[in-house]
Amino acid sequence: MEVLLAAVLIGGVVWLVRRRQRRRARTSTSTSTDRARTDGAGPGFPDRPLGGRGVSPVLMPQGRIEVRGLTKEYGGVRAVDDLSFTVEPGRVTGFLGPNGAGKTTTLRILLDLVEPTAGTATIGGVRYADLNQPIRRVGAVLEAGAAHKDRTGRSHLRVVCQSAGIPLARADEVLELVGLGVAATRTFRGYSLGMRQRLGVAAALLGDPQVLILDEPANGLDPEGIRWMRDLLKTLAAQGRTVLVSSHLLGEMAQLADDLVIVAAGRLAAQGTVASVIGSMAYLRRTLVRTPEPEKLAAVLGSDVVVTPADGGGAYITGADAVAIGDAALRAGIAIHQLVTQLPDLEAAFLELTAGKAAIR
Amino acid sequence: MTALLDSAALDQAGDTGTTLPRLVRAEFMKLRTTDTGWLFLAGFIVFTVLALTINAIGAHNQLYPQQGLNGPQALAEAARSHTPAGVAAIAASMMTSGQLFGVLFALLLGVLVLTSEFANQTAAVTFVTVPRRTTVIKAKVATAACCGALFWLASTVLAAVVTPVFLYTQHISTSLAGWTVARSVLVNLLAFVAWGVFGLGLGAVLRNQMAAVIGAIVVYAGSFGAELVFTALYNFFHQGWMLGAPVIAPAVASAVMIRSRSAFPYAPPAWVGGVIMIGYTVALVAGGIALTKRRDVI
Repeated sequence: MEVLLAAVLIGGVVWLVRRRQRRRARTSTSTSTDRARTDGAGPGFPDRPLGGRGVSPVLMPQGRIEVRGLTKEYGGVRAVDDLSFTVEPGRVTGFLGPNGAGKTTTLRILLDLVEPTAGTATIGGVRYADLNQPIRRVGAVLEAGAAHKDRTGRSHLRVVCQSAGIPLARADEVLELVGLGVAATRTFRGYSLGMRQRLGVAAALLGDPQVLILDEPANGLDPEGIRWMRDLLKTLAAQGRTVLVSSHLLGEMAQLADDLVIVAAGRLAAQGTVASVIGSMAYLRRTLVRTPEPEKLAAVLGSDVVVTPADGGGAYITGADAVAIGDAALRAGIAIHQLVTQLPDLEAAFLELTAGKAAIR
Repeated sequence: MTALLDSAALDQAGDTGTTLPRLVRAEFMKLRTTDTGWLFLAGFIVFTVLALTINAIGAHNQLYPQQGLNGPQALAEAARSHTPAGVAAIAASMMTSGQLFGVLFALLLGVLVLTSEFANQTAAVTFVTVPRRTTVIKAKVATAACCGALFWLASTVLAAVVTPVFLYTQHISTSLAGWTVARSVLVNLLAFVAWGVFGLGLGAVLRNQMAAVIGAIVVYAGSFGAELVFTALYNFFHQGWMLGAPVIAPAVASAVMIRSRSAFPYAPPAWVGGVIMIGYTVALVAGGIALTKRRDVI
């Protein structure tokens, strides 16, 4: 009899939990859609100016991220392959790569969630697991869905505070900072993707850390939210903090990042300032020429240049710069209607650097 | 380093205390801030009330069998039930109403304490906040043990209210502080704690919530088939030790620990059941810690 009772009651409890979850899922579908429209810095989510004087230069080396010879194998597949790079404090470093390039694995190794097959990943010369009070040194945003669906935003942050030994009142401070103060008592299930990203950032800021590691933080944010995120990260870097952020949004990264680390097939493809990485792709520079005599111009320029047709008439010329093309046209008496130098952008550089390196291995 | 905001909270952050008690408080905060723990507790209380009702009816029928419907055997049983030992046994049974199977609630909540972290994708946040995984698991073990003890306390308080009233209405009395009753109550506390931790260990080993819940139910319910299996084996091989061997099944070991030799006909002494049950629990927790330290959190 007791077995029957226990079975019925446990079944009842499980059914009740699932029923509540289903009901909440139904109600949250509509509210999430509505809230997604107000994710930006509208009335509920004002931009917050950041205070603070920044990080002391003495502490700067403690914020340096160093990855050396990092390798991670999953069943014979090398997700990360002998990867080495350095991320400096006081700068926003974009961590770019196609899907499956090993970005998330690298970030998780850095946070001691994944054990590397070989190599080291340190913050200020110390493994994450060996840091004293790591949440006071490093803040991380790993995925937007990383909270219990039935827990409120405030409760989620308070749990982290309690685990880390941070006063619970800090949860309300960071909720206000990321513009989620009005949604503090709403359950995570009712949060839009953008609000979830903001909650993730709030959790990362709880310990006022010197280093921030963010995996695709702009996913799901509307344009206003993206601008908010950009301003926040730039401000944090300007304070001397280390900001390492992975993203697929190349246009956004071009505006946000000071430095780039580009990986492909688990290996380093390029590292440097945004300008130097794009500059290294100088051979991609081309000149758009509009002329009534393209064949004659090509003949005058010689066999060293490559001429390809451009949309809407005209041609792209690589192998000669605008000055050389203009001079040659003048000498040959060829009329030029348009002459524009086109520099490679980050997207072109990224695609060139990662071309042919299979994203899925 | 200066704060991102002028943070009154961080300015006040002093000594953060020892990690383990802090983490145990965090685990309880996790339970308090979702419905699951409360629903399990509510379900358990309902179950205990129903079990008390059924036990009371059974005890009444045992004490006062209906004339004409029951034979001389029932009358003899009733006479035995009125002796001091019989009354103490009834009181012990009432005081532990529903607890033999009530431990299932503690077991399943123990499973959820860890597996819900993976089911809700909060494991990464937990282990980034506190990278010392052994300490995290120890805190969860302590939480699962406390949850088991809380279930036991809720059940025992209910029984402690109902049992004296029941005994009074049946015109019998015994001391609830007597050894027979006290032993049953205390051994049940051990069982609740052990099953809560057993569930946590099982969850740590399996990690997948659905697999762990099904595994826990199969382990508990399946254990009671051990007696049938070993009886069948005995009928074939005629080895005497096989009759007592069902105690190696976790739930049977727990039943032996609680009910001693009355758990099944050839049951070994209660301490054997206790040692086996605690052995399983310790092995699962040790395995869970080792696996949690080694596994990647993806």
